[in-house]
Amino acid sequence: MSSKRLLTTLAINGIEHELALEPRRTLLDALRHDLQLTGTKKVCDMGDCGACTVLVDGRAMYACLLLAVDCTDRQITTIEGLAQADELDPLQQAFIEADAFQCGFCTAGQIMSLKGLLNETPAPNDDQILRAVTGNLCRCGAYRNILKAGRLAADQVAHPEEARHADSTH
Amino acid sequence: MPIQHIKVLRNGTDEEELKVVETTGLPTWDADTKFTVVGRPQSRLEGLEKVTGRARYSYDVRLSGQLYAAVLRSPYPHARIRHIDTTKAEQLPGVHAILSSANAPDDITWYEEKSKLFDKTLRFIGDEVAAVAAESEEFAQDALRLIEVAYEPLPFVIEVEAALQPDAPRVHDKGNRVDEPTIYERGNAAAGLREADVVIEQTYTTQTAVHNSLEPHGCTAFWEGDQLTLWESTQGIFETREQVAEKLGLPEHHVRVVKEHMGGGFGSKQVPWKQTVIAALLSKQSGHPVQLMLDREAENLAAGNRNATVQRVRLGAKRDGTLTAILADIQVVVGAYMVGGEASEVNGMYERLYRCPNVRTEQIGVYINAGPCVAFRAPGHVEAAFALEAAMDELARALQLDPLTLRNRNYSEIDQKKEKPLSMPNALQVCYERATAAFGWQTYQRPAPTGPKRRGIGIAAHEWGGSGQPPAYAWIKLNGDGTVDVVTGTQDIGTGARTGLAQVAAEVLGLPIEQISVHLGDTAKGPYSPTSAGSSTQASVGPAVFAAAVEAKRQLLEVAAKLLEEEPERLEIRDGVVMVEGEPENKLTVAEVTGRLAPHMIIGQGARGPNAKDKTIRTFGAQCVEVEVDVETGEITVLRVVAAHDCGRIINPTMVDSQVFGGITQGVGFALTEERIVDEKRGLVLNANLEEYKIPTVADIPQMTNVPVNLPDLAANPTGVKGIGEPPLVPTAPAIANAVFDAIGVRLRHAPLSRRQLLAALATQAESIDKSAPPHTQEGQS
Amino acid sequence: MRPFDYVRTTTLDETCQLLGQDGDSSVRALAGGTDLLTLMKKEISVPTQLIDLKRLPDLPSGITSTAQGMTIGTLTTMTEIETNVQLQEKYPLLAEAAAVAATPQLRNMATIGGNLLQRPRCWYYRNQLVNCWLKGGDECQAQDGENQLHALFGGGPCYAVHPSDLAPALLALEATVQLRGPGGERMVPLAEFYALPEEKRRQETQLEKDELLLNIHLPGLPAGTRSTYLKAMDRKVWAFALVGVAAIVRLEEQKIVDARLVLSGVAPIPWRVTAAEQALVGATANEATFAEIAEFALADAQSLSHNAYKITLAKSLVRRALTMLTDEG
Ligand SMILES: Cc1cc2nc3c(=O)[nH]c(=O)nc-3n(C[C@H](O)[C@H](O)[C@H](O)COP(=O)(O)OP(=O)(O)OC[C@H]3O[C@@H](n4cnc5c(N)ncnc54)[C@H](O)[C@@H]3O)c2cc1C
Ligand code: SF4
Ligand code: FES
Ligand code: FES
Repeated sequence: MSSKRLLTTLAINGIEHELALEPRRTLLDALRHDLQLTGTKKVCDMGDCGACTVLVDGRAMYACLLLAVDCTDRQITTIEGLAQADELDPLQQAFIEADAFQCGFCTAGQIMSLKGLLNETPAPNDDQILRAVTGNLCRCGAYRNILKAGRLAADQVAHPEEARHADSTH
Repeated sequence: MPIQHIKVLRNGTDEEELKVVETTGLPTWDADTKFTVVGRPQSRLEGLEKVTGRARYSYDVRLSGQLYAAVLRSPYPHARIRHIDTTKAEQLPGVHAILSSANAPDDITWYEEKSKLFDKTLRFIGDEVAAVAAESEEFAQDALRLIEVAYEPLPFVIEVEAALQPDAPRVHDKGNRVDEPTIYERGNAAAGLREADVVIEQTYTTQTAVHNSLEPHGCTAFWEGDQLTLWESTQGIFETREQVAEKLGLPEHHVRVVKEHMGGGFGSKQVPWKQTVIAALLSKQSGHPVQLMLDREAENLAAGNRNATVQRVRLGAKRDGTLTAILADIQVVVGAYMVGGEASEVNGMYERLYRCPNVRTEQIGVYINAGPCVAFRAPGHVEAAFALEAAMDELARALQLDPLTLRNRNYSEIDQKKEKPLSMPNALQVCYERATAAFGWQTYQRPAPTGPKRRGIGIAAHEWGGSGQPPAYAWIKLNGDGTVDVVTGTQDIGTGARTGLAQVAAEVLGLPIEQISVHLGDTAKGPYSPTSAGSSTQASVGPAVFAAAVEAKRQLLEVAAKLLEEEPERLEIRDGVVMVEGEPENKLTVAEVTGRLAPHMIIGQGARGPNAKDKTIRTFGAQCVEVEVDVETGEITVLRVVAAHDCGRIINPTMVDSQVFGGITQGVGFALTEERIVDEKRGLVLNANLEEYKIPTVADIPQMTNVPVNLPDLAANPTGVKGIGEPPLVPTAPAIANAVFDAIGVRLRHAPLSRRQLLAALATQAESIDKSAPPHTQEGQS
Repeated sequence: MRPFDYVRTTTLDETCQLLGQDGDSSVRALAGGTDLLTLMKKEISVPTQLIDLKRLPDLPSGITSTAQGMTIGTLTTMTEIETNVQLQEKYPLLAEAAAVAATPQLRNMATIGGNLLQRPRCWYYRNQLVNCWLKGGDECQAQDGENQLHALFGGGPCYAVHPSDLAPALLALEATVQLRGPGGERMVPLAEFYALPEEKRRQETQLEKDELLLNIHLPGLPAGTRSTYLKAMDRKVWAFALVGVAAIVRLEEQKIVDARLVLSGVAPIPWRVTAAEQALVGATANEATFAEIAEFALADAQSLSHNAYKITLAKSLVRRALTMLTDEG
């Protein structure tokens, strides 16, 4: 019943993994099952929620609608690949500071979408920040603080010194 | 020991009180208490795990040899299984276990014994038919396709009116009424209506709304020898343990339920569902750990929803606005089964929110052939508020009173139902005042219409429980280095419980929060705590942690007193340092004290004591909303919401804000877009997904303000805390509906306020838009 | 999803041949996959083989200016359409339509070709338990069912609406699609490419099984042309159009000299209201005219049991679009 597995090389967070995968395995399932990278979440599996957002060659995409075998030669970044050593990405730091999550199930997706934005638009305006997360549902309704976190992180990236100072004043 | 715990045993109608431990003398956090940790914004303790993807949810459990399960579900709204054959599925490589009515234990029942674990009668699309455990999710799906089932379709009923007809198809043998109606009456409601100068009589309906927590229901189960471990996405680890142990005939200490993090529950995960026991049995059968998480479709079909309602409301009032009668006839559409957990008491709000001598409510539950309902964030009250608070608005318009004035005129300072005083009689008053002041209700100037866009404002109130109650237990362990482990069997369902509990412990112990760890979510490791429901975690478990910390502190100070050669009464702990009153030099750090003791350990135990008996403890709130309605396209935009909610003492303003904003956001969804759509002819749920079941996106949220209302309620518990989890969702939808009326003079009485409804209403009431003049009036403000 | 084989081809000919293969295997082309994979997950489409078009060197991608207009390769993503500066300048209508479609992630993945070829979102069609007419069954369940999202025009036997936001914009721009089959290439105006499904062709386009979409050609627009795409949704973002309108107008001295109006969300294919366009030409631009035109555009609309509101909505959007486009302010 199952089809031929294909030998597939996936470059995830800078590390290449060689996997024998059924073509029907989505990138999301490959991450969560074959690589045990469970930070990327499965919620709808149909492109309706954004919880599975990862970066593919720097751009935000839904891992549930990508076939893993289709991701060879592409650089994939997941939430696990954001922090450098022990240093959190400014977005991660900002999410904690702004209380930009409750249950946390949408969080990886939200952060990756904003990461995709900051990759291309280092100094986004508020509208760009909002648009960047229009493809990420949050059932807990943390949206307001997600936008706040996006702003904090963007400012931090643009002006590391000032932003730090501004944070500590409130 | 200041621990007190009273258990109430109900035996028929007799109530017997059994005192387990009782001592008095716990200190209280009263109005004069000075705080260093409590009341301050504090980010979530589990933040790091959540932003790095390391937080492990039930869905993320990966054990060696783990299998993945999938469930075959009924394709019919009502059918009998004639025959089921799983042979082909069993032969599929990679398949390890299959369960169905053909081989599952026959004695495990569900839904008030109305269904077996795998029942041959299926009562809704999505009812469980069979389950498979295989080496991958894909293989499990492949196996499901090979299961052959012969169904005999039966007549079904979806629509509530139809279900109540005498000759309607029967969902259950006894018919489609859940029970006898629940009737409440005080005074004489019919006479009250006759006394009235103005009567409002309207029928409101609310939709079936689906929780759609982002993490679906489900668990990973591992049955090893005689030990069953469940990593369950649940709001109640102990409730799950108790029920699973009972259903499977296991002693409780052989069942362990673990839940580290949860991706939302909103009430739907208060009780274990069939899949939990199915996963356990599949694990037993296969000898492997089995993960069974619902897919999004099943989550929408078969894991609970907010019951739809039909509410016929009659309000009678004197010219001056004094209510003479409140009547409500309520139908609650429960779906195919009753599930348990918090009940949807739609009637409650009618009986309590306003002062009125003559009140009558009648509520019946109705079965239909669709997925069962279960508590959904403030069950009953969200539905009731949509009707009652709109009816009050209609009454205000009829009387030409400001809706706020009408509410104030009928303010109740007591619990009329139980004829008891309220613990905080002016709490709602404070909410009204703060919300309307911050909103600018009295001074609101309606902007002139710009083109087709009209602005309007609306207000609504709510009342709810949230006092918390016993039992709940906690332990506090002081480690040799002065750090602290708080251990309790509660769970953090995303509300920030870990953080709030740590703040309580830190405050009592005089330690910085960094020195506190909270361990929860494991029945094998922590003492009993209740299900996280009814907005009660901080109010139920917080006091237990408080009591445990008080006890630990007492022991600590006793030891410190010996070391410092002082009386314990003269010692205080501040910032991790034990000092002697008035002698700044005479001190020891907590770490020095515990270090001297180690490896001996100080352990404080705490229990949640009872609430005051002579008072009713409730939470209250009010929200003001401004909307903009495009009368040509029917688009409603919620511009801003100002909320004021009484939740007793605020332990962590950051978490309270987040709860309020989250509640409002769900309220916007309930008001405008969320609705399960069922084809009544075919029984099909058409939007069992997140594409057409539309929850709000980031672009749909209004500007939101939460005005803090910090009113410690010591009748509830020594920390003065009450709940905030559920209430913020309650007033949002009616306030929006009232604001829409204010904007365009068109009353929409059916949630959600869809474009379809709005445009149809506009078409029939075209004339009223032009004279929608000033329904919001400054007149008669008190 | 059911199992399938994943293949990469190297030439267009080979690809067309594979696609045309008959017998037990059913071969489908995979572009961004955002529609095809959702259909496969629900087993509405059950291919045994997928050909990855993105790895096909000869399949065009990207936006190029031509003498008169522009050519868009089928693999161009919706994000590129939304953000390409030349396209924004020349065909703001299309960029605008792309910007209000789907989500940033989907736009990063989805190709324009796939967008034009996506299947209806009709919730009966997308439901695994229903074998509706469009899927080869006998009955359209929407006709007497929950049809609030369904068609006002061109309905029967299928009442689904075409979900694309790009298609109405491209139709208004009078685009032509370049197709390639085993027998060579053909150019088909989009107006013909979309065709109401019928008994023997239960799909919304004239694309043959063994054909590939290569390019979309846009003719030039006269200077002074204005355009807009308005989309009414149940939410502010991330929803298919309840009703959309792509409008193009050219004015000379307050008189309308050219007008194109295409409605989306109202018919199984993007729906151009030619009669209303003609009535606009020569008319004076004012509210009264637009109200009449809106009535006229919707005159033939036939509502089902639950979708009459769409008529009001469509009229409002038509009026609004025309007002916006002729507003001097
Ligand atoms: C949640 C969600 C929301 C959406 N919202 C919107 C919206 O608001 N507006 C909107 O316009 N769209 C919307 N879409 C649809 C989305 O834009 C389409 O799915 C997407 O454009 C399809 O492109 P693709 O490259 O992913 O196509 P695929 O899924 O790869 O292909 C779609 C179809 O086209 C065929 N195909 C693709 N390329 C070719 C070719 N060159 N030759 C022959 N056949 C080909 C495939 O075989 C398949 O049958 C939404 C989709 C989702 C999942
Ligand atoms: S409208 Fe078309 S797609 Fe929908 S049920 Fe009818 S035939 Fe099927
Ligand atoms: S899981 Fe991929 S979008 Fe929902
Ligand atoms: S934080 Fe729970 S879904 Fe976003």
